[in-house]
Amino acid sequence: MTEVDEVVPGAPLNRMLVSVLSLIGFFVALYLWAHNAGLTGPIICGVGDCATVQSSEYARIGGVPVSAIGVAGYVALFVLSMMGLQPGRRSSRAIAALLLSGSTFGVAFSAYLTYLEAAVIQAWCQYCVASAIIITLIFFATLPEIPRLRSPEGAA
Amino acid sequence: MSRSEERRQAREGGSDMKKLYITLAVVAVVGIGAVSYSIGSGSGGAVSAPIAVEGLDDMNRLVELAQGMTKGDPNATVTIIEFGDFQCPACQQFATAVKPQVELALIESGKAKFVYYDWPIIEAHPNAFLAARAARCAGDQQKYWEYHDNLFRNQARWATSTDAVGMFTDYAATLGLDEGAFESCLGSDRHADVVTANMELGLQLGVRGTPTIIVEQGGVPRNILNWDFESLRTYVEELLAPNTGA
Repeated sequence: MTEVDEVVPGAPLNRMLVSVLSLIGFFVALYLWAHNAGLTGPIICGVGDCATVQSSEYARIGGVPVSAIGVAGYVALFVLSMMGLQPGRRSSRAIAALLLSGSTFGVAFSAYLTYLEAAVIQAWCQYCVASAIIITLIFFATLPEIPRLRSPEGAA
Repeated sequence: MSRSEERRQAREGGSDMKKLYITLAVVAVVGIGAVSYSIGSGSGGAVSAPIAVEGLDDMNRLVELAQGMTKGDPNATVTIIEFGDFQCPACQQFATAVKPQVELALIESGKAKFVYYDWPIIEAHPNAFLAARAARCAGDQQKYWEYHDNLFRNQARWATSTDAVGMFTDYAATLGLDEGAFESCLGSDRHADVVTANMELGLQLGVRGTPTIIVEQGGVPRNILNWDFESLRTYVEELLAPNTGA
């Protein structure tokens, strides 16, 4: 019995972390989106004021709920990290680049939203804060992608 | 790195992946459970019935909690108060046939102000509580009275609708309101406390049906049973006569 002869690098731990975090982020954003669409009851808020944040003019960008953008972003990060975990793509430079740029955009967007909550709306929604923390963790988890950008494509 | 080492690493990668899949599955199950539970418990999200409000049994607190919507000069000494239900046909009569004349002759001239309190008869009118909240959601965007009048004009259309939330949102769009903000207001429990308090205030004041029209001056209320325009005008002018005559 012959085993696979090509060299397969171990599954990158940081991408595993990204996949788990982005799945959690996906559900947080999905919950906010469902609330924004009026599918849930009054938001379960222990602290903060989600109703104020969610009914502010900043809850939508060009008619699209911010939470929907969050759902799409987390789905994209999840799919990318899972692709990057498949044996053939573990050293893919394209996936490394997409993961890095995606998480950088996400963390910047989230920082902007957190700034809005703090300075403009002056109300806090704990789910938005949770999402901000998750995307920040994802951002740090994608930093090990930087060396992969330099390594030659397909190499071990 | 020797070949056997690489294989070992690949195998370890495989068992790592197994752990990852288990972790992802757990996250997915918890996430799906939490989101579907919150959607299921929402009963459509938009609160369409009175809610528990603390302090309603305390008259002082109730007077603070209950909030009418005022039109006209807030300093006018005479107040025309309506306890109304957006889904009640008699209230529609009042809103479309009497109120415009009252506004022209009494409110715009500053002789009196008009205050509307919600008094949805929820047993008979399933969309009335929601309508009261919808008007207040429009009020958040400074279009309360436009929305109020629009609700009464279109009463027959939305009264028995099973998609009142959708229709109310359409009306908001027609009036040029920010649809997103309106939708999330309506889809929550916003203003349910005030509407509930208004209902309780009405009960305490002896309101038993709609529309109940009360004309008040100097803390003395009088229930106007015949709320046609002439009766209202006559009564308001009688109240004002000693001031102007003297």
